[in-house]
Amino acid sequence: MEEMILKLKQEIIEVLNLEDVKPEDIDNDAPLFGEGLGLDSIDALELIVLMEKNYGIKLQDPAKGKEIFKSINVMADYIQKNRTR
Amino acid sequence: MTDMEKERNLKYTVITDKGVTVCGRVLEHNHTGSAMLTEIYRAQLGDWPKFFKMDTLSKVGYLASELLLKELGERRLEGEEYASDRAIVLFGTTASLCADRNYQETIQDSDNYYPSPALFVYTLPNIVTGEIAIRNHYRGETSFYVLDGYDTGSMAFHLQCAFQDDVTESLLAGWVDSTDNDDFRCFFTLMDRADASDLKGLENELKGIMDNLK
Repeated sequence: MEEMILKLKQEIIEVLNLEDVKPEDIDNDAPLFGEGLGLDSIDALELIVLMEKNYGIKLQDPAKGKEIFKSINVMADYIQKNRTR
Repeated sequence: MTDMEKERNLKYTVITDKGVTVCGRVLEHNHTGSAMLTEIYRAQLGDWPKFFKMDTLSKVGYLASELLLKELGERRLEGEEYASDRAIVLFGTTASLCADRNYQETIQDSDNYYPSPALFVYTLPNIVTGEIAIRNHYRGETSFYVLDGYDTGSMAFHLQCAFQDDVTESLLAGWVDSTDNDDFRCFFTLMDRADASDLKGLENELKGIMDNLK
């Protein structure tokens, strides 16, 4: 799981162009939106694309993202349980 | 004031993929193209991570406007401070071509079809005016005119027209073009009503500035 969390952080940094952020800067339990990384609604859409492209997870209900993107831990857990690739 | 004195009136920033000049001062850099934009941003500005998410057109426009405003000693509006009397009027020939191409790449292959929302939001040229307005708390008019070429007559006319309302007192004006991430040219200037009062004089001044972009 630790390896997957690191990979996920690297993917997020790359896809969201978080140039000044390193994987170790992202707290596994901190909220991804609002405070913390300060992501916005376009970033949320990019994360939905990332899940589909890299893990084959198609979110039928985009509103569910709010729950899934609560933190890196929650997101990694969701991916682990639902990935198709 | 003579015509020669007027030609030197506007202070401006020029950015091409090969270099950056701020009010006549050449900035040092080790890279060219998109890497140079990041290098200059880190060395001269920083403090706005949104920069890294912008398309090339917005990065160039943002950098040129910030470097100019900083050089002119403009105070940044904070909190609930807003300026309704400052407009942004930009021109260019390539519009959002660079962003359009980057977005197109994400939808080109039907077997690898993942449209990027972050790239899509920049597929309009006037987004650069919004990025600058948001950063500086400007609430005046914003416009981006797509022209056929370096038409300084048309530019001068539109800049003069921008002062026709009873709100606008100053303009952040300029030219910004980008065909791909490593090919861009831009200038930005700050002007007031008096700068735009003489249409022919303004056109001549713009011609002189635009020569830096060729």
